[in-house]
Amino acid sequence: MARFLHIRFWLPLLLVAGTLLLAPLFRSSQPPLQSHALALLLCGTAALSAYLFAVIAQPEKF
Amino acid sequence: MTTSTRVLFPRMPRGPRQERRYLERPRQQGLVGRAVVEAFRKLDPRQAVSNPVMFVVWCGTALCLALTLEPRLLDVQAGDRERAFNALISLTLLATLLFANFAEALAEGRGKAQADALRRTQARTQARRQLADGSIELVDSSDLRRGDLVLVQGGDVIPADGEVIAGVASVDESAITGESAPVLKEAGSDVAGSVTGGTRILSDQLTLRISADPGKGFIDRMIALVEGAERSKTPNEIALTVLLAVLTQVFLIAVATLSPVANYLQVAPSVVTLVALLVALIPTTIGGLLSAIGIAGMDRVAQFNVIATSGRAVEACGDVNTLVLDKTGTITLGNRLAEEFLPVGGHSVAELAEAALGASCFDQTPEGRSIVRLAEKLGAVLPFGPGTASGIDFSARTRMSGSDTPDGIEFRKGAVDAIKGFVRSRGGQVPDQLDQCFEQVSRLGGTPLAVCRGAEVFGVIYLKDIIKPGIRERFDQLRRMGIRTVMLTGDNPITAGVIAREAGVDDFIAEATPEDKIAVIQQEQKLGKLVAMTGDGSNDAPALAQANVGVAMNSGTQAAKEAANMVDLDSDPTKLIDIVTIGKQLLITRGALTTFSIANDIAKYFAILPALFAGVGLEALNVMQLASPQSAILSAMVFNALIIPALVPLALKGVKFRPLSAEQLLRRNLLVYGAGGVVAPFVGIKLIDLAIGALHLI
Repeated sequence: MARFLHIRFWLPLLLVAGTLLLAPLFRSSQPPLQSHALALLLCGTAALSAYLFAVIAQPEKF
Repeated sequence: MTTSTRVLFPRMPRGPRQERRYLERPRQQGLVGRAVVEAFRKLDPRQAVSNPVMFVVWCGTALCLALTLEPRLLDVQAGDRERAFNALISLTLLATLLFANFAEALAEGRGKAQADALRRTQARTQARRQLADGSIELVDSSDLRRGDLVLVQGGDVIPADGEVIAGVASVDESAITGESAPVLKEAGSDVAGSVTGGTRILSDQLTLRISADPGKGFIDRMIALVEGAERSKTPNEIALTVLLAVLTQVFLIAVATLSPVANYLQVAPSVVTLVALLVALIPTTIGGLLSAIGIAGMDRVAQFNVIATSGRAVEACGDVNTLVLDKTGTITLGNRLAEEFLPVGGHSVAELAEAALGASCFDQTPEGRSIVRLAEKLGAVLPFGPGTASGIDFSARTRMSGSDTPDGIEFRKGAVDAIKGFVRSRGGQVPDQLDQCFEQVSRLGGTPLAVCRGAEVFGVIYLKDIIKPGIRERFDQLRRMGIRTVMLTGDNPITAGVIAREAGVDDFIAEATPEDKIAVIQQEQKLGKLVAMTGDGSNDAPALAQANVGVAMNSGTQAAKEAANMVDLDSDPTKLIDIVTIGKQLLITRGALTTFSIANDIAKYFAILPALFAGVGLEALNVMQLASPQSAILSAMVFNALIIPALVPLALKGVKFRPLSAEQLLRRNLLVYGAGGVVAPFVGIKLIDLAIGALHLI
């Protein structure tokens, strides 16, 4: 059960889901590979930003 | 504080500090090799995630490496030229990560090497455990538990930490302290009543009550501490981590939103260029060196033979406002010197001097030698032939020493009460004048030693406290740094006032009790001040726990060591002043490198922004006249990577400490590290750009 609550379990799922959700937005201007890569980059940047917010909120945990 | 044992059993004079260091500085060569390996291991994202600034660099490196392998991943028009540039940026970013990891690994490695040295003292030994019926069984030292009774004899290694409950013996503690002079341990004594596992009993025997379970002894805790296993971020480090994370967050959002703006201006920078801009903007220098500075601070304390229980304690030293110091051993020399002979019972000074010489001729302690010198100065001659008498050593039980002649004459000197008892036991009378002399010497803040020959009291020797040379200058330095010094002494107010004036302390508390120590600490803390103090007795434990920085002497009791947040292995109370200096140096180093890190970002803006927006009129910002946009970006990245190893020696050694006020230090650091941080990268980036051009890298 603890495994399902861990960020290491959810993060890849969220990145994949976000990529699949955002990729169609770039499909009009980019080929499929590039649109998925751009979507993944956007999701990754958002995850990095969320991580930095977590550090700011609970610095002693890092 | 109980100091009698230390005064009555003075230690041998110590050699230079380097010679008696137990926590030897590890060999640099092996350390560097291990740090290089560790730098690669720390690339593991699970470890990298603990440092927000460097984790952002880690993510950027991963992205650039992916774009090196497949440049068309995000841009269909990218080709081999982009691949080569991406590879150079990726390698530079990887070097930045490795240099930061190396700095941290090098600092950690020094602690681990010290831990290895401590571990070597931990040998499993056989112990004689005493059972409830009084019988003895041989057990492995790892089988001993808290509360077990153990018998140790001359030559044995003490199997675990314990309290002496019976016996008197001398113990070699050099395994812990590096000090070769044996230390007397005896039951019923506060300071001398605890022993440490791993030390060796030299003579006689002791019965010990084990005070720590296996793995939880003093050396085990020291190993965990120097190894950094229990290291957690200090308040200052946490505050700085938040600041760096906020700056990184702001720049991450700025760079992420820059892409649509650039697209609108039809500039369209590559993702690798944006990663380079982000890495240049975030404070990577301090981000990479932050933990190394903290670890190195603890290491510097350990090099002083002091074990800090946490980085928090070392850091608190840097903020200390008030030092509470014991008089004996800290402000005055523990060894007092004979100042005057005060005869009683109708005896003359010459007669007393002769008796004192007879009682002290075998006494090799500094006090004993000073009595011999004073007696000889007064013309006294030895009252018996050389080599005819035998010496009587001082003991904690008798509290006196002396000599016996073959014809049965006993010369003795010692505590007034002890001499009174000795004289009465020989059928003699104690003159009332003895008590008057005792009071007179006590009023002067000196130690009275009574002298007798057989059943006849001759008088009192006045042992005077000697103020340590240079202590007044140290207190002046502390005052300039804004630190107040308070002297605590059991002496009467007149004597305390004289010594306080001579030593130059700011305040003193005479006839101090353990409760007074806590009261003065609480009073200072109510005023918002941080207080540091030293102690060694069980009665010091509450005050050590109350103080923001409590330094226990290694010779002290288990209770004192557990209450304190630092343990001085040399048991030198003066070291508190050095520890405060190291704490200040740690904070100054961190501040100086933060200033430098933020200041040196400025030059990188002038390198990368004109390169990024070359087509929209920002070329004027290219004040360094860098060869090309790509060369400018690469130069800034290479400088960003190289500045970390260049600053590693400063991070590990610390900024040179100067006893200045906070305002003066701030001004100086802004000038040196602020202005230096602005200028150095302009020069460095230009030189790297010239080198890149000369090597035709781009």
